[in-house]
Amino acid sequence: MIQVRNLHKSYRVHSARKGVAGAFRDLFSRQSYEVNAVQDISFHIPRGEIVGYIGENGAGKSTTIKMLTGILTPSCGEIICNGMNPHMQREAYVKTIGVVFGQRSQLWWDIAVQESFRLLKKVYQVDDRTYQHHMDLILSTLDLSELLDKPVRKLSLGQRMRAELAAALLHNPAILFLDEPTIGLDVLVKMKIREFLKEINQTYQTTILLTTHDISDIEALCERVIMLDGGNIIYDGNLSELRRKYVTKKQISFEFTKPTDIQTLSSQTEHLNLKWKAGENMHQWIGILPISIREKASISEVMTAVSKQNEIVDLQVRELALEEIIRKIYEKGAVHG
Amino acid sequence: MRYIELFLQYSGQYIKTRLAYRSDVVVGFLFDLLQQVVNLTFIFLVFDYTSSMNGWSRDEVIFIYGYFLIPFSIFMAFFNIWQFNDEYIIKGQMDRVLTRPIHSLYQVLLEKMELESLLGCLTGATIMIFSGFALNISFGIKDMLLFLPFVIGGVLVYGGVFVFLASLAFFTDSKLSIMPMMYNVGNYGRYPIQIYNRAIRFVLTWILPFAFVGSYPASYFLNRTEWVGYALFTPIMGLIVFIISIYFWNYGVKKYRGVGS
Repeated sequence: MIQVRNLHKSYRVHSARKGVAGAFRDLFSRQSYEVNAVQDISFHIPRGEIVGYIGENGAGKSTTIKMLTGILTPSCGEIICNGMNPHMQREAYVKTIGVVFGQRSQLWWDIAVQESFRLLKKVYQVDDRTYQHHMDLILSTLDLSELLDKPVRKLSLGQRMRAELAAALLHNPAILFLDEPTIGLDVLVKMKIREFLKEINQTYQTTILLTTHDISDIEALCERVIMLDGGNIIYDGNLSELRRKYVTKKQISFEFTKPTDIQTLSSQTEHLNLKWKAGENMHQWIGILPISIREKASISEVMTAVSKQNEIVDLQVRELALEEIIRKIYEKGAVHG
Repeated sequence: MRYIELFLQYSGQYIKTRLAYRSDVVVGFLFDLLQQVVNLTFIFLVFDYTSSMNGWSRDEVIFIYGYFLIPFSIFMAFFNIWQFNDEYIIKGQMDRVLTRPIHSLYQVLLEKMELESLLGCLTGATIMIFSGFALNISFGIKDMLLFLPFVIGGVLVYGGVFVFLASLAFFTDSKLSIMPMMYNVGNYGRYPIQIYNRAIRFVLTWILPFAFVGSYPASYFLNRTEWVGYALFTPIMGLIVFIISIYFWNYGVKKYRGVGS
């Protein structure tokens, strides 16, 4: 569905000299340097997959998306999406994709949402029957029906974003590109949008590629992530695998009815590979458990051992959040092995 | 066919939004009218001192001016791309345009349409008719048939030059301010170009062919046979300029770099 081979994009950037004298010198000779926004990226996304495309600001996410949507021409390398070359066959190609840029509106500011849809329907040459059938589903899932008569400028950000999504899916594209679709939205709208995307993906087998800074988007939607750093792919694979590789221990926090100490706890769990750490007071203790292959079994063993001799008020099992994992990866550089 | 349908859709939406701001449209038209009055007064003033300018009488100059307003108003209505650099390149709207299955220039033109400028055609036609009567010009079938291709040719010359200039925005990320300058140069086309010196005449004919918008075709209707060849060349000139500028635009789109995120 999406096939990218050795994609490369570099820009020439002109640097401005300082001050008035500098500006004057710039008139005659400009200094410029090459920036490699994306270097040598290759990946393949099969139909119906939802892929998270993540990376820090300036890692090359947007540049890649813009090349995949036919906006920018690659410096070199090859892109085949839906059997077409996005830039060379732009007009035919964009009919088969949907695009949402979170920070930029696709809709007409002054006219009612409905009128925007009607114009887009003409632009994408969607026939009436398909439109009716398909849009009914979209509008009801996104809860847009009562917003149709409002002009776009009067919508709240959340409402607008839902309208944007509907607009991007109006022609039932095979691929949907989302650049920061949930930026600035509240949790409820975010959840609604995620559910909607899942539903679209399941109903129409729509391939979805999304960039986001909100890791919870990725956790909720994607099985696969592609991680980018400095224009290179540093990880491409399963989300669960990423977690397995990086999450090496779990923390189990206990709160007991009676105060206790580290010796007692250690002796009670002697047969287990467990380290104890003090919590905020004598009632609270944290057990750190390395994750083994039989991780579920070992948590229950800890529970049995501890609850046999102590009365537990509260209990919490926590593992490294995806966000922390990703931060760790960026601090360390590429993912090895 | 599809492009005509799209044009109708966009126009429909445009009229709907503009109807919400009716007073704007009226004020705009009145202001435009006032400007024409000022320009005409200027011509009248000049002819207070002289009875002819390089062989052109007052009424002839006014006739050319009136004719010029017709292609010019159509140009203003459909090529309102003065702000292209700012609105589309710097503010990044071009990204959106490029993700839609219509030729990018056509989309920009449709989005920026300013149909009320077409009212200027009425002003122009009125001026033309009055000065035409004063000059006792006959307007036969042949003239009727040539009128449309002449006007379209003129619109394409103007449109082509400005599309070309707008395309420059694809190659730079700083602001361009040659548009207003060009606009002034373009206004030279509304007077008979024989009143200028040879260098300007050459430029207005072969480099920035604004003379094909007003001067040459209008002199045909004034039965000035000296420039018939030029006048008949108007539609071809229009096509040449426009086609070159579309190629340049398309080339620019390839070089387009977009803005950050």
